[in-house]
Amino acid sequence: MNRLILKYGYPITAVILLIFVWVIAQRATGGWAALAPLVIAAVIVWAVGAPAFIWFWPRITVNGFRRAIVRRGFGGGPIPVNTLYAEPRRSSASASTGSLMGTGTDDVLYIAGWFELGERPVVVHVPEMTGRYFSLQFTDPSTGANFAYIGTRATGSAAGDFLITAAGWAGQAPSGLTRIQAPGRSALVIGRVFVADQEDQPAAYGLAQQITAAPLGS
Amino acid sequence: MKAHRHTQPAHKRPQGVPRPRRCSVRDVAGILGWIVHSGVVQGVIIGATLAFLTAVVVMNLVLRRITRTVDGWASIPACGRPENGVLVRAACAKALPGVNVFEEAAYWTTTRDAAGHRLDGTKTYVLRFPAGQLPPNAAFWSLTATDTVGYMVAGSTDRHSVDDRSGLTPGADGSVEVVLQATPPPGHEQNWLPIPNARFKLMLRAYLPGPAVIDGTYHVPPVVEASVA
Repeated sequence: MNRLILKYGYPITAVILLIFVWVIAQRATGGWAALAPLVIAAVIVWAVGAPAFIWFWPRITVNGFRRAIVRRGFGGGPIPVNTLYAEPRRSSASASTGSLMGTGTDDVLYIAGWFELGERPVVVHVPEMTGRYFSLQFTDPSTGANFAYIGTRATGSAAGDFLITAAGWAGQAPSGLTRIQAPGRSALVIGRVFVADQEDQPAAYGLAQQITAAPLGS
Repeated sequence: MKAHRHTQPAHKRPQGVPRPRRCSVRDVAGILGWIVHSGVVQGVIIGATLAFLTAVVVMNLVLRRITRTVDGWASIPACGRPENGVLVRAACAKALPGVNVFEEAAYWTTTRDAAGHRLDGTKTYVLRFPAGQLPPNAAFWSLTATDTVGYMVAGSTDRHSVDDRSGLTPGADGSVEVVLQATPPPGHEQNWLPIPNARFKLMLRAYLPGPAVIDGTYHVPPVVEASVA
């Protein structure tokens, strides 16, 4: 659906605008009095709506990821909140399906998760990655900004445990956990683990599965 | 008859307090009817649609401003950063939702060849990296062909990209030529990137890009249409 809208955006827009012109032309035959309520309503909604769309666009797109994660998942069923799911197949397996996965790359196995941090922080465990490139990207749903990374570049290749907390969490982080504070109360997590080729897939998937998340104290 | 509705027995209601007028079904229907027939509903629909289109146009203008384009290859290094303002955030969410920050992964896309023509899968193209000019990185790079929207297309082969593990054969001068066409090019299978048999888009990725990528001094070479033999 998404893909069709993107592909045929211009013709679809042109048809909709033509319908609008027709509606307005129909009304205009009745003079200004017949047209005024329509025009006034349209201008008010437009003036409020255009900035609102821009303001909420990042939230809308990140929310699309949230729905994909917690409702559908990526082949393994819905992904429970505060857990991470590693997709065993590479992106090209989803070629021509129109799935979000089809826009990815065959160089990595993807990991996805949605964290709700309002009640308790979430502990993320990363195994020793033996120098294999990986990253976990933490995205703020309200702005679409990546507020933190765990991975080769950001934290290194060694095993580690991280405590992802909501903004303003006042608790004490258990020792040995590196604290990462989210700007809000939820976070989108997209992970990427390098996979060299088809033969490397089992090894890459084995490591991707060991990147796990669970609420603190569970 | 209507007047009786407003005269209440004195013992039920203190003098001087007017009874609130009841909103009858007929009133509601009248208001709804006016909303429908006056054009307010059409106005709201038209206003909301135009608001959406205005937002898209604004975001596209912002995108044009923050996109770095060299030889047809476009990249948007600003995306994903917490310090971005409202407009850049929205533009990035529209163009590249969920994208990495640039120092984690650099992405370049193009739908045009060196001459500015749309990439067309019925033709043959060459992407020639001069010696030492493969995308600098500390992780990996790859070149993928997709449909014009960005989705991979199932083809006759499992080969959806070429990358630093493809064993690309360099020429005598150390340059690497990637041959892009729909069918295997005889004698150049090793350096072949299959493309869809239609208009297409190319995406080049460099994970953990080198300093030359981040400071913008590295340029991806143009995609050149092979001269018709």
